[in-house]
Amino acid sequence: MDQSFHISDEERNGVPVVSASGEIDVATAPPLRDRLQALTTSGKSTVVVDLLGVTFLDSTALGVLVGALKRCRESGGELPLVINEPRILKVFEITGLTGVFPIHATVEDAVRSVA
Amino acid sequence: MSTVRRPTAAVSVDLSIPVQADLVVLARLTAATVAGRAGFGVEDIEDLRLAVEELCLSLVGSRDDGRLHLTYECEGDAITVDCWYEMGDQAVVKSDADDLSLRILDALVDEHGRDLQEGRPSAWLCKRKAG
Repeated sequence: MDQSFHISDEERNGVPVVSASGEIDVATAPPLRDRLQALTTSGKSTVVVDLLGVTFLDSTALGVLVGALKRCRESGGELPLVINEPRILKVFEITGLTGVFPIHATVEDAVRSVA
Repeated sequence: MSTVRRPTAAVSVDLSIPVQADLVVLARLTAATVAGRAGFGVEDIEDLRLAVEELCLSLVGSRDDGRLHLTYECEGDAITVDCWYEMGDQAVVKSDADDLSLRILDALVDEHGRDLQEGRPSAWLCKRKAG
């Protein structure tokens, strides 16, 4: 699997979806943070974050997602995550964040939950 | 004639890297290589990769100066990673990631700790092969 980091975004049913792939670590988390900040400061209170292609994720990435979640909720929105890789889900479980983020197995489910 | 790769009884690897975000990957790549060579399973190797990343982050946070020195020692069914931070000129600031890093380390390794050795921030972890 490709380990390099990529980020892209699109809108589905009016909901912004940011898709990340590869390894999100201390080096690659800043572009994700910047993209999410740009969306939330431009008035998008809800953003779906698709992590289906992510192969590694550390505490820096978690910090970026928690910060974005706070901003979304302050605006009355939400930050649903899309995860189906057990190793990535494990990082959320051991940090107690599965109870904090809405987590879905598919982008369609995540978009449906907020559309 | 085929060659069978066997775990080596005792191995020690030293790594010294500048504290730069894009070089921390070297610390986890080395961890994966040492663990793979020692016969650790895929799940344990992935746990160790993330744990070593967090060990480094727990020492340097968001700083980008100085050097990180790591020693990986493999003996029997255990890998120990010692890491110390040779500080640069930046003031020490607390990392927002500290709490998450410690939670991840608690969950993924058998033992870990932090210390000041001769005034140098240091941290270590030990992971044993899954039974």
